[in-house]
Amino acid sequence: MSKDNDKNKDDEATDINENTDANDTVEKIGVYICHCGGNISDHVDVEKVAESVKNIPGVTKVHTNSFMCSDPGQELIEKDIKSGSINRVVVASCAPSLHESTFRGAIKRADMNPFLYDHANIREQVSWVHDGEPATAKASILVKSSIEKARGLKALDVLKVDAKKHVLIVGGGIAGMRSGLDLAKQGFEVAILEKSPFLGGQASKLSRLAPSYEYAKDLIVELYTQLSKQNKVTFYTCAEMSSFKGYIGNFDVTLTREPSDAVKSKSKGEFVENRGIFIDNIPKETEEIAITIGAVVMATGFKTYEPAEDEFGFNKLEPVTTLEQFIQDYKKAETKKGILYLNNKKIKRIAFIHCVGSRQIPGIHEPDKNGNLNEYCSRTCCSSTLQAAERIKTTCPNTDVFDFYRDIRTYGRFQEDIYDSASEKGVMFFRFEPDAQPEVTENKNGKFPISIKTKDVLTFNEEIEVDVDLVVLVTGIIPNDISSMINMMKLPVGTDKFLQEVHPKLRPVEVANTGILLAGTCQAPMDITESCAAAQAASVKATALLYKGFVELDPFVAQVDTELCKGHGECLKVCPVDNTIEIDKVAKVNPALCTGCGICTAVCPENAIDVMGWSLKQYEKMVDAILAA
Amino acid sequence: MATQDKEKKDAKIIILATEACAYPGANSVGQAHSSYPANTYILRVRAPVLFPEDFYIDCFKKGCGGIIVMSCGEECPYDGAYHALAKRLDNVYKMMKEKEIEIKRLRLTAICTVCNRAFLKEVNQMNTLVKELGPPVLKEN
Repeated sequence: MSKDNDKNKDDEATDINENTDANDTVEKIGVYICHCGGNISDHVDVEKVAESVKNIPGVTKVHTNSFMCSDPGQELIEKDIKSGSINRVVVASCAPSLHESTFRGAIKRADMNPFLYDHANIREQVSWVHDGEPATAKASILVKSSIEKARGLKALDVLKVDAKKHVLIVGGGIAGMRSGLDLAKQGFEVAILEKSPFLGGQASKLSRLAPSYEYAKDLIVELYTQLSKQNKVTFYTCAEMSSFKGYIGNFDVTLTREPSDAVKSKSKGEFVENRGIFIDNIPKETEEIAITIGAVVMATGFKTYEPAEDEFGFNKLEPVTTLEQFIQDYKKAETKKGILYLNNKKIKRIAFIHCVGSRQIPGIHEPDKNGNLNEYCSRTCCSSTLQAAERIKTTCPNTDVFDFYRDIRTYGRFQEDIYDSASEKGVMFFRFEPDAQPEVTENKNGKFPISIKTKDVLTFNEEIEVDVDLVVLVTGIIPNDISSMINMMKLPVGTDKFLQEVHPKLRPVEVANTGILLAGTCQAPMDITESCAAAQAASVKATALLYKGFVELDPFVAQVDTELCKGHGECLKVCPVDNTIEIDKVAKVNPALCTGCGICTAVCPENAIDVMGWSLKQYEKMVDAILAA
Repeated sequence: MATQDKEKKDAKIIILATEACAYPGANSVGQAHSSYPANTYILRVRAPVLFPEDFYIDCFKKGCGGIIVMSCGEECPYDGAYHALAKRLDNVYKMMKEKEIEIKRLRLTAICTVCNRAFLKEVNQMNTLVKELGPPVLKEN
């Protein structure tokens, strides 16, 4: 096919090179360059990049396409493979973390080994950071470098490792229970690890749940009832993880269980208000339990932000509480003549102050003792506050409710209705700027014990003073302290201290460590609906990983060239993983244990050991291509 | 002292960026659309401990202006690899001195997945240096 630059690149792929004369025994490299809908081609002259590589020996096909990851883009690769035009693939597009598996899939579908493929990152590392001729020149060099790597690629087989159909759920809150139930129903053995003697987590402290207004207790009891009917579920309460090692399919975990004084008089399965379902198997003495599991679902949950001493009068003024405490107290509230009575105290006027411990701004808010600020939005608290305010006005219409907010974020389905209803029922709203937060002071001589002053943005910064009986601080969500597990399991943590997924859209419940999944608020602030959705996603992902009874691992492990190896054992001396290398005249690598770090490669005097797919020789070729250009 | 070719101002910089930390860190810089010099070429590596001393010297021999090893630092997912790498680079520095290559041309640093500022600082500093020094000319042994 001749060069055809006149084609509309948005509609069809441009095939600028076809050299079918190449001998089948040599490398025939297909190069596929993506426009990324303008993300790349607005800054990189993609056609020029294609031109620059089409005459490189061994390159038999060069295509450009608007979206190489789209079905038509992938079909280009598949078609070229099936026609015998290529036996190596180079894709130049976005970061490989996004679509490496997509293109491997396409190659596999065309019956070619998926590891005969390399990826040049010309979006995140070129078009998004450079512009004009330098961007195009750099993209060309990176593609050439990839071509050189592709030339030396060898077909690799994925490693198959037996996998236990046994999943550990860390955390017995609503996300952990939901995830455990789904996995048990799929026939997996499930171990639920919970540090307290109760199941239900933070949800146990809640009352009615918007928008359906069922009781949180009923939800927890329902989940527990279903879980307890599953004969493959084991509850390890009063337990923490004390060791963790292994790899997907075969994680060896030690759980340490400690005695607890918690409400022993309760019977098994009984719901204890604000604590959850009591699981009556508290150990009498410390015990250690070793289990081998195939995957882990982290459902370690959250705790609410504890305001600093005297932050809005907290811990200094008695009528200042948190939303978490208020919800628990409100369960026992009384109404007299349409006025709210909380803990036998008349509450004629109540105020809520939003964003306490959330959306903190450097320079305005005080960091905690470790220097941290919670700069994120806790998301769930606006709706939760408005629900509380709305309930008060519904049941106690003669109690005045004042709502001091920065922004109202009722983002979820039906949550805006709560805001509307609260407004209609007479909740009074005041808006404050972050650098002019409400001042909460004691009102010694007034009718009400607390005075709140603020500049109300809604009335063009008018100074407002409101006297109230009770101030409720709407405290945000912070992740539970799981630092020991983070260290043991080497879990990635974001700057907000929540566990971090690989990609928020493409791999939303996976962390970089294969076989470890995220469910619920250990990952980010979520409400129960979102936590359960994440938990179910994690269960499905765990099922997909383990259902075959074996897992396939990337084959990027050390391999010995037995022709070159003289059995010096230098590799064995430096290998950090016990039993990975043994010397029997020549070195031998156990691929299931090798992590593929390559530490052995650098020390071999014979250059006899290298990492498959990431070999030193390939890097040398890539560097040559870069520096020669 | 090696002579430096001051005429060539655009000597290339090779960045060895770890797959778990620095490479996604470089992508994060891209996602933020923060510009940096285009004479930088990032190689995705599992752990830079793979590279023997000669690899670095050969890069300089081939005209590479600077090498930044962007590791995971103490957070390296491969047990012992970071310390072995640091030790190896000590050897490389010794070899560079012998060959009269300015040792600032090789830099070991730790870059995390969101270390945008640190990434840009390292790249810009190295770029300033290679612009000043030009490509290396090695002393023949």
